[in-house]
Amino acid sequence: MLNIYLGEMEGAVYHPPVYFDNRYEDEWLTEPLAIEMVKDVDKSEIISPHLVQSPVLGPISVKELSGGVKTLMLMAFDKSGKVFNASACGDNCVKWILKIAEGKELTINLRHIMDFGKGSFEAKILNTGQVVHSAREFAEIAGDFV
Amino acid sequence: MKGRHKVIVQNNRLHYEFEVKRNITIILGDSATGKTTLIDMLRQNMDLGPDSGVDVICDVPCAVLEGRNWQAILGTYSQSIVFIDEGNAFVGTEAFASAVKASDNYFVLITRENLYNLPYSVEEIYGLHSSGKYQNTRQVYQEFYRIYTKPGNNFRKSDKLLVDKTAGTPFQYGKKAESCLSA
Repeated sequence: MLNIYLGEMEGAVYHPPVYFDNRYEDEWLTEPLAIEMVKDVDKSEIISPHLVQSPVLGPISVKELSGGVKTLMLMAFDKSGKVFNASACGDNCVKWILKIAEGKELTINLRHIMDFGKGSFEAKILNTGQVVHSAREFAEIAGDFV
Repeated sequence: MKGRHKVIVQNNRLHYEFEVKRNITIILGDSATGKTTLIDMLRQNMDLGPDSGVDVICDVPCAVLEGRNWQAILGTYSQSIVFIDEGNAFVGTEAFASAVKASDNYFVLITRENLYNLPYSVEEIYGLHSSGKYQNTRQVYQEFYRIYTKPGNNFRKSDKLLVDKTAGTPFQYGKKAESCLSA
């Protein structure tokens, strides 16, 4: 289940990419989900936990992955209990956020009106307690908070 | 600062080229389109100059602003284009809005947040085009949502856009976005 807190959230990690750089575990990079997300969002291939092949930048370190995919990996693998600012993610990360939330109780902070696309999904807006099922329903509530 | 300023940022792998036309430009869009890489290259050029291997070609200085001492640093910039990456929460503050208002710099902000303290034109919201050519910019117009002003400011709204009464120019003014789904 996806839980969304809209607007400023005390304790949430505002800029997840830096947190990722300092806290990620090598094991995360070998998870099939991480490999898929990096391939889809960054169009890059994880060669090893210390090497990524980018079609644009060539061989890069994990720290040079996009902020969006770093935030996705934190959502998927971080065990600290922290809530991450998903506004570091572009709309091309949405399907992965929804996928991660299929397998666990995922709480994210959003500070913009993310485009959840045309499909149906389920998310609970923690500010109001309402459950939304579409981008339209989400936007109608989110507009009051961000 | 006035007028249009063409900016080219390049190294052997990447070439960014775009024009900054107004005092506030927003860059947003998908992840992995090179937004932070652009800032990294500008920072490297700012720190090391030509020795960085990054070329920055512009008729005015380009600078990166970040960190907790942003106010003191911003005070040292004049007639420059100031780039700010996402992750700098100060861009949403009233202090930053006041600093922008008092500044003669142009600002290029990378953020997806609605900056409700800042007046900026919907026409100056850009994405970095990531399909095919990594470095190309394209203008992004967010038709999906119409954004309205907070009450009590020196602005009025029109049917389609918000208008700065002092400048008479359309602008986007953040918080309390009224969802207006075009679909």
